[in-house]
Amino acid sequence: MKSMRAALIGALALLSAVAAAQPPATAAPPAAAAAAPATASSPDAAYSAAGLYNLANSYARAGKPGMAVLDYERAALLAPNDADIQANLNFVRSSLHFPPQAQGGLARIARITNPTAVAWIGVLGILVAGASLLVAKVLARRRTVWVAGLCLGIAAIGFTVCNAIVLGPKIHEAVVIASTTSVRATPVPMGDPLLQLSEAETVTITAGHEDFVLVRTATGRSGWVARADLADVVPRRSVR
Amino acid sequence: MKAPCRYWSSVTASIAVFIALSTSAMADAPLAYETIQPSKIVMGESAILRVTSLDSELQNMKLPEVSGLAFEVLGHTRQMEFIGGTASESSSIVIRVTPQIAGIFSIPGPTPKSQPLILEVNTDRNSGNLPLTLNGKAPRPPEPPEPKKGNSAGIHFAADGSAFVQLKMPKRAVYVGESVPVDIEVGVEPGLVTSLNGLPTIKGGDFTLNNLSRQPERQEQILDGKPFLKMIWHSVLAAVKPGDFSLTVDTPLTVKISNRPSEDAAFANLLGGPFLQNFYNGIVPKEITITSSPSELHVLALPTNGRPADFSGAVGAFKISSDVSAVQMTAGDPVTLKMHVSGAGNFDRVDSPMLDHIDQWKTYPPRSSFSSTDPTGYKGEKTFEQPLIAAQPGEQTIPGLSFSYFDPETRRYERAQTAPIKVTIDASRADGSLKAPAGGASPDTRLASRTSKGLRPDHPLTADSTTTLIPLYLQPRFLALPAALALLLAGGLIGLRRAPKRVASKATERMLAQLSAVARSGDSSTFLVTARQLLLQTLAQRWRIPPEEITPAELDARLGHDAEDIGRLFALADEAKYSGRAADGADFAQWLQIVSRQLNYEAPP
Repeated sequence: MKSMRAALIGALALLSAVAAAQPPATAAPPAAAAAAPATASSPDAAYSAAGLYNLANSYARAGKPGMAVLDYERAALLAPNDADIQANLNFVRSSLHFPPQAQGGLARIARITNPTAVAWIGVLGILVAGASLLVAKVLARRRTVWVAGLCLGIAAIGFTVCNAIVLGPKIHEAVVIASTTSVRATPVPMGDPLLQLSEAETVTITAGHEDFVLVRTATGRSGWVARADLADVVPRRSVR
Repeated sequence: MKAPCRYWSSVTASIAVFIALSTSAMADAPLAYETIQPSKIVMGESAILRVTSLDSELQNMKLPEVSGLAFEVLGHTRQMEFIGGTASESSSIVIRVTPQIAGIFSIPGPTPKSQPLILEVNTDRNSGNLPLTLNGKAPRPPEPPEPKKGNSAGIHFAADGSAFVQLKMPKRAVYVGESVPVDIEVGVEPGLVTSLNGLPTIKGGDFTLNNLSRQPERQEQILDGKPFLKMIWHSVLAAVKPGDFSLTVDTPLTVKISNRPSEDAAFANLLGGPFLQNFYNGIVPKEITITSSPSELHVLALPTNGRPADFSGAVGAFKISSDVSAVQMTAGDPVTLKMHVSGAGNFDRVDSPMLDHIDQWKTYPPRSSFSSTDPTGYKGEKTFEQPLIAAQPGEQTIPGLSFSYFDPETRRYERAQTAPIKVTIDASRADGSLKAPAGGASPDTRLASRTSKGLRPDHPLTADSTTTLIPLYLQPRFLALPAALALLLAGGLIGLRRAPKRVASKATERMLAQLSAVARSGDSSTFLVTARQLLLQTLAQRWRIPPEEITPAELDARLGHDAEDIGRLFALADEAKYSGRAADGADFAQWLQIVSRQLNYEAPP
């Protein structure tokens, strides 16, 4: 019993220490920063779902569908269950005659809440599952209690993993922000053009070479595109 | 008579063997060749490639595949050719070659051993000194420019003298991050160098060679009496750290070398046709890399004194200006504020946050675009566009913008500023309808108007925000938490599994110490009773049964050989308890050993 108590105390202490070290996910930013998405040129800004959504709306009204889709995608990462974001994103896509994006059952489950909450649910799942295993060692006869705890913990971990499977690929996605861009066979400006991508199309980046990135389109075709014509859905550099 | 017959037989056999060997050798030799006319064209023109075969097997010939060139078969011809006074039938295939991009192309020959043909495609007539044709009639060609004459002092040639490469820099002292326009000159001797196999590259990782122009300028130059075709690439060099450096440039190319003795070459020169000359010359291509002579460069660090807080690393000479898309608008309408930074320098480091915060305005992060006025991107204009939305009606002033950079000529930090801009904001429309941004010059106006009608309205801003879009569970710092938790829980599980043994070990030590103390006191009955009690407790805990259920039968079943000793100890304990029989010192030692062995799981000796 003493060992279990020590382990639990240690776990809680570690949890508190790491949580204290984390940047506050819901820190109150300056008003202007809350409205604005971060870029390299706005180092004090921060991302907010409402700010990104409003900015995407502005871009859509200004006739810049590439930037609009980019910011809708970014807003959807922070608020995946926001119906307005999805509706406007689908509307802009459909106005450009893009096919609607299919959303499977796994994606619908994963989009119940935002990824930050999902991450903490996963940690809680590890705690509950681990504690259940410890209880099983000490109180072997209370089978119902620890089996229920173990199932709950595994379900929470599974929910987090499911969310990561759905949202993980978004990290490598990018949106075409130029009016058109050529997909080339080789990563040089003289490379043979294979096909054209329209503004606001979403592609997956698989590799990079100097000023070009190797992309895979929604139809499965691959080629090199000028890096300047794309914008990452998830910017590589976090905002300080 | 037999001897001469044998002699003539052997001579005939030798001739037959020679003819057979010659035939097989000829079968391996290339029986097809190709020509291209003209070998220099400009974009939009075509060249005619004629492939001629002496063995009439051109029907199955595959068209060559060269990236950037399109091949189209125009027709087949058959003709008689007289080579060395002998008539032979040959067939030709005529192919139109149309370039899709400019450059120097190497067209592979019809057989694996054939020499490739070189086709030079220029973007315009000036770049390659090509004759201008008009309506099929070629006007009198302009006088070709006189080739420059020079000497080879300071130029580093290839081993056979057929090519050279040079790095030309305007200055020898630069600052870290400063862009320096450089020229890379590659000279090749026509006829000896067949192709360039790549762009020139600079040696060393302390420099970056940016925006190498894809199409080199071409000049003819005579060096030491030999004509050279000189290709000049323009680029921009930038140093990443201070210090003294020595720079060289490498260029891969293919040259023709002869693998036959000079006597064969002399014989080949006596032959008439170029085809046979090639056949006897034994000219083969060889890939080499030529390196320029080293150029010394002194790189200075940027001064830290007087460095502005908003300095983004821009080094060069810049000017700035600003404007807005509309000076009169409605509250709530977006307006685009533009800042133009023009001049010469490292535009990749030119950055500006524009306006971070203005009272009564909503600011959005700016986007930047760059338009170059030279092929290397050294000169041009970078434009920053920032959307702004006025929240309140009335006369408003958008503050002036500023931009800091380091000027390598004056050797100090400079600050450029723009004037404030006054705008008039009208009251918001009552219906709050959506509209395109002020200015209305967007090419996607129709899309904007169509889109704005179907969009759901904006959301009220909340205080929730985050510094990165990467999901929390994919951030390495956060991942340390579940990993540490999992490790901690695994450690706890392992600790729990080992704990009973360790606890039992400590308890056993205590019990044995207690039993030894009783033995030292010489009280045999207490010793035996205590020993039995200890054994019963230990065995009951070990077997997970109550102590009263440990019977002689149970001992026999579980302990086997040791059951006899334990049973005797239990009997003596009963006897001592009820009869008071004393045990001597030897008995204590023996029983202590037996009890200790059982408590510590030890096997009998």
